[in-house]
Amino acid sequence: MATLESTLTPALEDYLESIYLLVRERKVARVKDIAKARDVKMSSVTTAMKRLAELECIDYSRREYIELTPKGEELARRILARHDILRRFFEEVLQMSPENAEADACSMEHHLSNEGMDKLVRFFEFLGRCEESEHDFLNQFHNCRAVNPEAEICNGQCQHHHGRKHHRKIHTFRNITDLRPGESGVIALVRAKGAVRQRLLDMGFLPRAEVTLERLAPSGDPVWIRAMGFQLSLRRAEAESILLEPVGAIG
Amino acid sequence: MNQQKNIRIALAGNPNSGKTSLFNALTGSHQHVGNYPGVTVEKKEGHFVHEGVRIDLLDLPGTYSLTSFSPEERIARREILDGRFDVVVVVVDSTILQRNLYLLTQVMLAGGNPILCLNMSDEARAMGQRLDLEQMERLLGFPVVETVASRKEGVPLLKDLILRAAESPVKESRLVLGERLDSAIAILSEMLEDSAPGARPPAWLASKMLEADDMTRQWVRKRLPDRLEKVDARAREMREEIEERTGLDVTTFVADRMYGYVAGLLKEVVLQPLRKDARIVSDRLDAVLCHRGLGLVFFLLAMYGLFWLTFSIGDYPMGWIETFFGWAGERISAFWPEGSDSPLRSLLVDGIIGGVGGVVVFLPNIVLLFLGLAFLEDTGYMARAAFLVDRWMHKFGLHGKSFIPMMTGFGCTIPGIMATRTLENERDRLTTMLVLPLISCGARLPIWMLLIPAFFAESYRAPMLWLIYMIGILLAAVLARLLRSTLLKGEDAPFVMELPPYRMPTLKALFQKMGERSWLYLKKAGTIILGISILLWAISYYPRPENLPVDRELAEGKIVVNNAETPENAREIARPGVEVLTTSELEHRREQEEMLQSLAGGIGRLMEPLLKPMGFDWRIGVALIGAFAAKEVFVAQMGIVFALGSEVDEESDTLRERIGASYPPLVGFSLMLFLLIATPCMATVAVTKRESGSWKWALLQFGGLTGIAWMLSVLVYQIGRLAGIGL
Repeated sequence: MATLESTLTPALEDYLESIYLLVRERKVARVKDIAKARDVKMSSVTTAMKRLAELECIDYSRREYIELTPKGEELARRILARHDILRRFFEEVLQMSPENAEADACSMEHHLSNEGMDKLVRFFEFLGRCEESEHDFLNQFHNCRAVNPEAEICNGQCQHHHGRKHHRKIHTFRNITDLRPGESGVIALVRAKGAVRQRLLDMGFLPRAEVTLERLAPSGDPVWIRAMGFQLSLRRAEAESILLEPVGAIG
Repeated sequence: MNQQKNIRIALAGNPNSGKTSLFNALTGSHQHVGNYPGVTVEKKEGHFVHEGVRIDLLDLPGTYSLTSFSPEERIARREILDGRFDVVVVVVDSTILQRNLYLLTQVMLAGGNPILCLNMSDEARAMGQRLDLEQMERLLGFPVVETVASRKEGVPLLKDLILRAAESPVKESRLVLGERLDSAIAILSEMLEDSAPGARPPAWLASKMLEADDMTRQWVRKRLPDRLEKVDARAREMREEIEERTGLDVTTFVADRMYGYVAGLLKEVVLQPLRKDARIVSDRLDAVLCHRGLGLVFFLLAMYGLFWLTFSIGDYPMGWIETFFGWAGERISAFWPEGSDSPLRSLLVDGIIGGVGGVVVFLPNIVLLFLGLAFLEDTGYMARAAFLVDRWMHKFGLHGKSFIPMMTGFGCTIPGIMATRTLENERDRLTTMLVLPLISCGARLPIWMLLIPAFFAESYRAPMLWLIYMIGILLAAVLARLLRSTLLKGEDAPFVMELPPYRMPTLKALFQKMGERSWLYLKKAGTIILGISILLWAISYYPRPENLPVDRELAEGKIVVNNAETPENAREIARPGVEVLTTSELEHRREQEEMLQSLAGGIGRLMEPLLKPMGFDWRIGVALIGAFAAKEVFVAQMGIVFALGSEVDEESDTLRERIGASYPPLVGFSLMLFLLIATPCMATVAVTKRESGSWKWALLQFGGLTGIAWMLSVLVYQIGRLAGIGL
């Protein structure tokens, strides 16, 4: 894995990280969303995607959306963990502002050697353990007026960060079955494969088309959909493959 | 009039676009319905003469596009590409222009010489839609005509346009798919240019190569092997560029561009769009009929109505037909002297009239069922029914639309198998067809009525009947699952099923559909059934015995005929060693002995080693052969082998007593199990052959079910015997 990590450029690592976050939050990553998340052009994204696909980190065979390979996912998780530890170190230990902590973590994560990273993690863990013991180095450090002129007695608030969301607000894709009967949505993409996908495309289930969930069958499956001036039924499994644009993220 | 060559045209269109009505309106009665070889897809051809020119017409299967995922699409695509039609009439539902015109763009790309037929234009107009037809013709570059096929409106004009379009085909397509796609197609087209006969339009090949379509690549490999590599490489390059620039998968991109073209066209020609509330009646109806809770109630009502129509109303004409064939048999018999032994008489009366009668007697059921089904289909309820029950059917690897054939099977398997025509997917259709004989049909009811009281006490009779039906249903479900995971394995067909708005069908359309399908049943199934009837007749008639034991005994005085009415009278004549029989008893004895000496009797006895493990003897064997002709014949055959005459019916207590005395209840149960599962009747086999398009499936059904029946009956009998149950 070390060899692969060394072949990944900082930019590719960032892409991998973005894909991982998008997939985790929205179930699927589109080139469009990656471009938006990284604030780059779509063509730069596709070049990067090709490179990542060559390195077998992602499955880019279906061009509309990207899936992580197990290898890619493992790698992304590691990059993200590294990022997270650095950020927390800057924010919690060194008491930097969240923005700066984030920015420094972003630039440092790519350049830290595995050893450096490992040592840093241990140190971080050590500080955490000390917090609970009488030798609370961290507390002493924070309350040292030389470091922090406004320091009072530490009351352990530095723990509030756990489980906090990533810095960019990400809307989650819904699929048609998430709609309530009578509710409408706008198609983001069709994830189905093979015959179902082709049939749906042929019927006009294309990105930006509006669909309404009309009603459900007695057992909740199949579902009844109205779209493009006609109505049709889909089995739940098929309907779930039609992802809708998140509410408030249209346009 | 003039001697020019025939014009060949094809009708293409979405399902529910009224294509079939238009086909009927154009051809009248000049049509021929068959099957495409090897698939269950119907092939409809017809012709008409207009201004002295004969126009041959092919009705393509209804499809949404010309891709290659379903047999229908593959056929429509192949016909349009290779069929060399002078004109392709694209029939569209004017109320759903967007989706319907998508198919038109594909026909344009595929190089067809199209005429656009805006069908159901009355409905669209009533819903407020106004179109600029002249503008449309100008933009498309070929004729556009509004029709109402069900009332033949616009049909004469369409015929004129067909003639004109055949004379002056469109030279150049005006399909505009945007700069990016158009230039890609143009580049690849140039590379694929091919002027030899049998070539396919380069633009079509180009777009499909761009999409990396498998079938097209194979075609190019075969036809232009030296160019494949270059075209492939160039296509990949362009595909990647498109995907990079648009962030869309190339298939999505192409579909998006085609829809884009349609949207652009509609923007130019729609003067006034459909009113938003135009479908309010249909929608309100759905809110009630397909209500999540009430939907099933209405569904059951509809099913009840269908069966009432099929079987209750059908009973009357069925009775007439039986009476007629009985009368005809008698009239023919009358040509021979009383008691004649002529083989010709027997062939005519027992073989042919009996056999044909056996086919024709189902006709009222079939005709009425098809009328009911046509009504459910054409109103649009069929799709809704499938929507309501799909979940349960899908659990067994079946489709929502399998429900109606299965239910019909309780009445009669034949119309059930015919009703599988409403299933689009081949695998769904075959699965349903193959397991249908397990649904206990009406003809098996007399068997249960005879056997259950013969073996079981009053209080067990109803549960036993219920049990038999349940075993059939469960076994059908299990086998369907099994078939779908073995022989008919494959991804489930997409249940992407259109729910067309409710429409009131015309009586004419209903009767046409009904007549067409009923005729198919009579014609195809009839010929096979007639053949099998004659065969069955022959094996139970031949060889003719020279002298029967009963006649010998009569001559030797061991049997005395006495028709005395009172038992006392009979006893007077009785002497030891002499049997006293009435004339009819004598006749029954003859019948029995003739049967035993016939080939069928011989086969029955030959089968005994196979029957023994199930607890059956040769008498049951002989009756089972008869049951193959038609299930209910089993009862009459039992009457013959028990020397009670073939006129006994299932209410005969004497027959019940004899059967009950001859076999233990365990054998009775094993026998019912066997009759339920094994050997679908010959009409079923014949219809399965006809509907599946091959003997393979019919024989698989016959052999498979018989095999399973044998195993289960053996299992039940042997376990029962060891456990000492029902002996």
